[in-house]
Order: sequence, then structure tokens, then C-alpha cells
Amino acid sequence: MNRWHQVALLAKREFTQRATSKPFLITMAVLAIAILSIGPAVNLFTGGEDEATKIGLVGEAPPGFEAELQDQAMLFEMTVETVVYADRSDAETALTEGDVSAVLADGTEIIFHEDSSSRLTALLHSTVDTTVKAQVLSELGVPESEVDSVLAPVPVKVTTLDEADVQEEAKKGAAFFGAIALYISIIMFGQFVAMGTVEEKQNRVVEVVLSRVRPWQVLVGKVIGIGVLGLLQLAILAGAAYTSAQLADLADIDVAAIGLPIIASVFFWFILGYTFYAFLYAAVGSTVSRQEDLQGAIMIPIVLIMPGYILAIVAAENPDGLIPMIGSWLPPWAPFVMPVRIAAGVAQPWEVGVAIVGTMIGAVFLVWVGSRIYAGALLRTSGKVKFREAWRAAVE
Amino acid sequence: MLEFGDVTKRFGDVVALDHAGFSVDPGRIFGFLGPNGAGKTTAMRVVFGLVQPDSGMVRWNDRPVGPAERIRFGYMPEERGLYPKMKVRDQLVHFARLSGLSKSRAIGAVDRWLGVLGLADRGDAKLDDLSHGNQQRAQLAAALAHDPDLLILDEPFAGLDPIGVESLANTLRVLASDGVTIVFSSHQLDLVEDVCQDVAIINDGRIVLTGRLDEIKNRSAKRRLSIDVDGEPWIPDFPGVEVVDGPGPAHCIVDDDAPVGDLLAAAAAAGTVNRFVFEPPRLTDLFREAVTS
Repeated sequence: MNRWHQVALLAKREFTQRATSKPFLITMAVLAIAILSIGPAVNLFTGGEDEATKIGLVGEAPPGFEAELQDQAMLFEMTVETVVYADRSDAETALTEGDVSAVLADGTEIIFHEDSSSRLTALLHSTVDTTVKAQVLSELGVPESEVDSVLAPVPVKVTTLDEADVQEEAKKGAAFFGAIALYISIIMFGQFVAMGTVEEKQNRVVEVVLSRVRPWQVLVGKVIGIGVLGLLQLAILAGAAYTSAQLADLADIDVAAIGLPIIASVFFWFILGYTFYAFLYAAVGSTVSRQEDLQGAIMIPIVLIMPGYILAIVAAENPDGLIPMIGSWLPPWAPFVMPVRIAAGVAQPWEVGVAIVGTMIGAVFLVWVGSRIYAGALLRTSGKVKFREAWRAAVE
Repeated sequence: MLEFGDVTKRFGDVVALDHAGFSVDPGRIFGFLGPNGAGKTTAMRVVFGLVQPDSGMVRWNDRPVGPAERIRFGYMPEERGLYPKMKVRDQLVHFARLSGLSKSRAIGAVDRWLGVLGLADRGDAKLDDLSHGNQQRAQLAAALAHDPDLLILDEPFAGLDPIGVESLANTLRVLASDGVTIVFSSHQLDLVEDVCQDVAIINDGRIVLTGRLDEIKNRSAKRRLSIDVDGEPWIPDFPGVEVVDGPGPAHCIVDDDAPVGDLLAAAAAAGTVNRFVFEPPRLTDLFREAVTS
């Protein structure tokens, strides 16, 4: 009987048992729906900005205020509407209930509900200032045409030295979310490998399995089966995120140009990172005999993964920094940090090469060490097995 | 034929198997007997490559046992276990396929064994939902579904009631008559006395006795004497009489050339003899003899 055929059977069992389990299906459905709804939800919020900002008026405003307000609002790139209230308490109620964003009382006081807006303050202040001054100048006998020319706002150009490239920002943001998805997936599916290993020990089914196949086959089958499930979950989540981004109507951002490379990169680094960590998870899982003891044991891979996650966050902010750069080369962290630096466009090809080759070598090493510890510890179903004992006890 | 050849295995300072050797003929039911901790499980694990011996070798039909041979073996470990949340039929098919059966043959074999073992209507239940007895049957089915040539069962009778013991014994007899070689271990010697045709008795990692059970019994220089006089235990006052249990009818071990007539006369002189049996020794007697000698 072909040994890889047996591995395939073991992998298939792992995959089907988990993929059809209720907790997994429910988690998947909840996550996919949550991600899908982000896009339309964003539209709901951003859609609000297109509507006119409403300003309540109470008491007597300076003459010509409304016309001036509309003119100035254009300079502020805002659309405003005014609502007149009979008295101050009505206006304040409307403000509290969110019907209007600000209230101008008697042309002399600007009222906000909770947070004042400097933009609205500036608009209202400037409008009041202009209309009052225009009135004073008219009363002084200055002809209307001259009043206008004196009070016409002086055009001032606004320039940004480093214009933020929306496309680049979106790319970094997507890469950052990709890093989080990677981190969660590797921890989640690594944990599945460890839990599956302990389950088989705890249920004593391991000896039934090992009378038919070698320990390495059980281990590789488990890692492949759970890994394929991880890829499936990532595919579903990536699909949901992509659809969600399409639905979000992000006019300035090319979702396909940004999303597809990031998704491809997350898949690639998941395969590398998961392979690296899965065998470590299996090794620590095999050293305990009960689920209750697992929490302590899996601190080893978690402690190793955590810096990668932190470095990925740092790299999203500062992809050129020395520490994220070094972190992106080293096998335990490269899968989390390198995709962020690649997305930011700062990773040199040789750095990517070092990260990939290094992680592969690290993974092969962990496959070897992990398999041997796993083989040595698997049949010891009482208490906790020390790594050293497991290493020595390994059969073959 | 299974040859367990001069196997030694140490775990640190503990010698689990000490030059242990025996052989099992095809189509025989072989009892591998001994007290707890004698080395039975270790020996069985050696057959399946789960424990690597320090020295010695296991052969099947004159070939060293490797993966190609093991795929034709069936094993029920002492540590019972299947997947608790998986449907019984699904996992039995999984194990049969791991043992090399095609999908369709695996399904056919599993359904046949579920029927034979009285689990036909439980195939779609999760293992967890089965009674203890049915879980045991499912475990046996996992060892049998690929129709192995050699079946190794570690303590298969442990925890079974007398009806369960008889039912399992009958299943084993049918299998043996079909040519399957069966090795099972037990520490309950009285329980399996009638099941095994051949035995190996192991103590402290050493095989102290092995062969055909009837031959061993006849060859023994001891006989078992059961006497019941007036419903009271009555111990004959003769040299070389060793009392093995009581109260109730007394069981003694005596030499095979003991003066049976004199013993019976002495018993009759003591009262009414309800029972007087002079017979070959039982397994427990042989074990005691082998271990103490």
C-alpha cells in the first residue's frame, strides 16, 4: 500500500471531520457575513457626507446672511441648508436630536451639541463677520460694489507637500489586514493541529492508527488536512472581503489591483508560515495527554509568533525601519512581516528571497524535529512528556 | 506462522522483555498470559513496530515483519479508543482503507462485520452514543474489517460479562477455523482457560512456559485434586499436598503419581464424599508452578 495514499486518507479524514463540524461552519458563516456587511455599512456612513449640513438659525441674523452663507460654503467645499427655529429652546432640542449640526443664535453665538466643529465654526464665523462688516460699510456710505470687492474672500491656495496617495494607503491597509488574517489563521489552525494530536492521545485512538501507519504519516496527514481547511477558510474570508470592498463603492481605489495581489500573498505566506508552525504545534501537542494541559504547552509557539505580529504592525507604520526589516528576514516572523513590507514597496527582491528560503529551511528543520518528538511522545499517554525524552524515545 | 524471536526491550532500568520468544501456528488461538506488568503489551507493540526492541526480531511466515506484513495484521490495543464524535461506519471504513482496502471493499467488509457483531443498526451513530459493550464491539470490528491474517488482541476479555466472554470466544473460534491466526493476552487465567488452544506464559519479561495447552497439562508432573467431604473443606494429610484455595471444596495440587486410592479412602473415612476429582492442572496452577520453580 502506497504510503502517500495513506497520508491522503488521513488528511481527508482531518479535513472532512473538521469542515463538517458545526462550530466550524457557524464560525465561518458568522465571519463571512460580518465581513460582507462591512462594505455596505461603510457606504451608509460615507453616504451621509454628501447630504447638506444643516444649520439652525434662531433670532435675528444679519441681513444677507443666508446668501453669504451659501457663497462661503462653496469656498469651504460644503453644502449647507438652514432651518429657522422660533426660539432658542426649539433650536437646542433640534441640535440635541441631531436634526442640525450647529445653531447660530442672534447672529452672535454658535452652539454645538457635544463636539464643536472647527470647520463649521470657521464657516459661520467668517459668514457673520463678512455680513456684519458689509452692513457697517453700507451704513458708512460705501457703495455696494466696493463693499463686495473689499470683502470678497482672498483666494488662498492650499498645497500639500506629500500628497497622500490613496492607492498606496489602501494597499498598506489591505496588507495590514492581510497580516492580521495570517496571524489569526496560523494560530487558529496551528492550534487545531495541537488539539487534534492531543485528542487522538486522549481518546487512545492513536494506537489503533499507529498499528497501520507510521507516526510521520499521521503527522503529515494531519498538517495537510488542517492546512487545506485553513486555505479554504482564507479563500472564503478573502472572497468575502473582496466582495465587501467592491460593494463599498470606493471610487478612488482600484479594488482588484490592490486586493488580488494581497490575497495571493496571504495565501503564499500562509502556506509557508503554517508549515513552519504546524509541526511545532504538533510536537508540543504530542507531549501532553489531556486537553487541559494543552494551554500551557502551546505557549511555546504563541511566544514565537507574537513578535511577528507586533513587527507586522510596526512594519505597517514604518516599513523601512531597521527592526521590521530584520524581522522580515527571519524565519519565525518573515511570514507576518514580509508581506507588509512587500505591499509597502520597500522590500528588495533579495530580501524576499532570504525570507522565503529561510522560512523554507526553518520549516524543513521543524518538520524533522517536530516529527521526531511527535513520534516519541505519541504513545506515552500518561502525564507530560519532556522534549528530551520524546526525542530519545522516537521509533525509527 | 508468527515467530517472536528472543526479543529484549529495556525502558531505562526496567526490563520489559527479557529474551522473550514464542511462536504461533496458523489458524490457532494463542493465549499470551501473565500478570499485569509482565510485558504482554510491550510484546504486542513490538509486533506492530510501536516499540523498537533492543534485540531480537519478529517474523511472519519466515520474513521479518515490516509495513507490508503489518498491513495484513489486525490489532486491538489494550488502550481502547476510536474517534468519539465520528460515525461508527465512517471510522471503520477509514481504518479499513488505511489497511489497504479499496473504498467499495471497505464499505462491504465494514457492513458485514457490523452485522456479524450485532451493530448493523448502529453504523450511523456516533461512537459516543454507543453503550460500553457496543463500543467494545466496534473496537473489535476496527481490528477485523480488513480481514487480517493475524489478529492480535490485547486483553480483549477485560471488562466483559460471562456472556460477552462466550460470544467473543465464539467469534474467535470461527475466525480461527477460517485460518486466521489469533493471539490474545489476558491476566485472568481462569477466564480464558477454555478459549486458548496454545499458550505462552510470561512473567517479569520472560516466557516461563509455552506450547499446546493440552500437551503442557498432560506433561505436567502435578495434578489438581478437588475434594468435598460433607460440604466441608477437608484437607488430606499427605506429604506433597499443596492447598491452592478454599474454603468450600478444597483444591489441592498433588504429584501426578500421588496414591489416589489412599487419598480417597482417607476422605471416605472422614465423612461422606460429595466430590473427589483428580484431573490435570489448570492454567493458574501451571502458572504458579512455572513462576515459583
